[in-house]
Amino acid sequence: MDATRQYGELATQLLLESRRSTATDTLLKYNDVLVRTIVREQRQLESLLQSTLEQQEALNPGGDGMGDDALTPTVLLYQTAIIRNKRCLLAYHHHRIERLKELFWGVGGALPLILSTHTNPTGAGNNSAGAASLSNDIRSKLSPHEVDFLRSYSASLMTFRSGVLATEEVDLFIQITRPPKDIHVLVRVVLDCGVIQTELGTIDFKRGQRFLVRAPTLNILSLKGTSKRSSIMTSR
Amino acid sequence: MADSWDIDDYLNERPKAKSRSATAGPSNFVQRALSTPADRDDPDANILDDIIGELGGRPSVIDEDTVAETPFQELIRHWMNERHAPEILPAQETLLGRLLDHIRKQTDDVQLLRADPDSSEDEHFRIMLVQTEVERVKFVIRSYIRTRLFKIEKYAKHISTTPELHERLSQGELEHAKSYAKLVESHFTHSVLQSLPPEQQSLEDNLPFMPPMVPEPDITRAVFVRGREDCPPIRVPSGGETQIKKGDVIMTPYHVVKHLLARGNVELV
Repeated sequence: MDATRQYGELATQLLLESRRSTATDTLLKYNDVLVRTIVREQRQLESLLQSTLEQQEALNPGGDGMGDDALTPTVLLYQTAIIRNKRCLLAYHHHRIERLKELFWGVGGALPLILSTHTNPTGAGNNSAGAASLSNDIRSKLSPHEVDFLRSYSASLMTFRSGVLATEEVDLFIQITRPPKDIHVLVRVVLDCGVIQTELGTIDFKRGQRFLVRAPTLNILSLKGTSKRSSIMTSR
Repeated sequence: MADSWDIDDYLNERPKAKSRSATAGPSNFVQRALSTPADRDDPDANILDDIIGELGGRPSVIDEDTVAETPFQELIRHWMNERHAPEILPAQETLLGRLLDHIRKQTDDVQLLRADPDSSEDEHFRIMLVQTEVERVKFVIRSYIRTRLFKIEKYAKHISTTPELHERLSQGELEHAKSYAKLVESHFTHSVLQSLPPEQQSLEDNLPFMPPMVPEPDITRAVFVRGREDCPPIRVPSGGETQIKKGDVIMTPYHVVKHLLARGNVELV
């Protein structure tokens, strides 16, 4: 067996992955294999711990378990390893949840954009190439539980939005990175996204054209899957 | 309010071309909003004041001593407080409700005026200014709600298990906090905990020398506070006493000024 490996070494790898994900600002693929291996290590540790405790009990019956017999350090070592591994596992999952939430907000709460498995690169209309490649990327990196999480999260937010406070006047999902300076924004279309209804009529967005549109329209555009960042350049 | 930018004036009497030319300078949004009541001469500043400020004339403010602040300024203050405070602050539901109602009304008025073919070039320009300001108010509202959401999610477990915090949240927020806490827990359970041995499945280990597993806001975090008025003396952690006077800016651990903040004596900056 892999006797050369220390307890907790795998968990460190998991944390490194989280850190790499933050540093490069990308979502890495869910590391199912590693998680399973650590879980296995946990079970192994637990049984080791239990048998050691039994030995200790046998050696020192009726003792308080905190005696300074030879086995106490062993127990402590196992315990520490178990606790650390567990923390690392939870931290890894938590970190991923946070990243997923970031992604979710980044696309303006358009869940289908993240989850759709649509990979048709020549897709027209809403399934623009940019959106498709984006979603293709993300979906394959998620674990099934994470997909469930995102769904429920989105549902909870939708309930919140339609609830008491937020109304249709203020769309929660619009970016809040910088305050609006102008009601009109100059956009350059870098991806065909078809005819879009705006407050002042319809506009046919074709690649390479420039438009002066109202800022709320831009949000529709980003909701439609032509994300502001990836497909529409905003120029002042 | 002869030189007002009140959009309702247009609806009522259609004043002849007002002489002020409005040039929206690139001034700082927050600063501009904060300085609105002080200089009524600045046409730029008046827009915002009038859009927001006419909710029942001068708004009744919590404290009589301070200069009356408009609902929007009040919101900006709460927004800044919320953004800087480590823990969740009481929800400002009535304030938000008033602002949202007003935005809705303004938007309707604007639509009406836009559709009116008699509106002159000049008026269209003003409509645009009003729209811009409405967008900005919306921005602050959005940011305020999202800031609260962020904290609610971060401390979901703590909030949903601490009944004293419940009254600080609106109904919708509380529900979201609870469902989010449940969501994270079930995600952890399904992904990790259920495959661990039963002895390791707890989510609330409280071990010596380890941080607790339920994150709580750090109320000792340092914050900058500005006195909105002369405050009663406060006790600082080092043992002495100090007093925040109006306009003073000091840096202190959050818990020291917590009660002053709740009373509106100070604001976080």
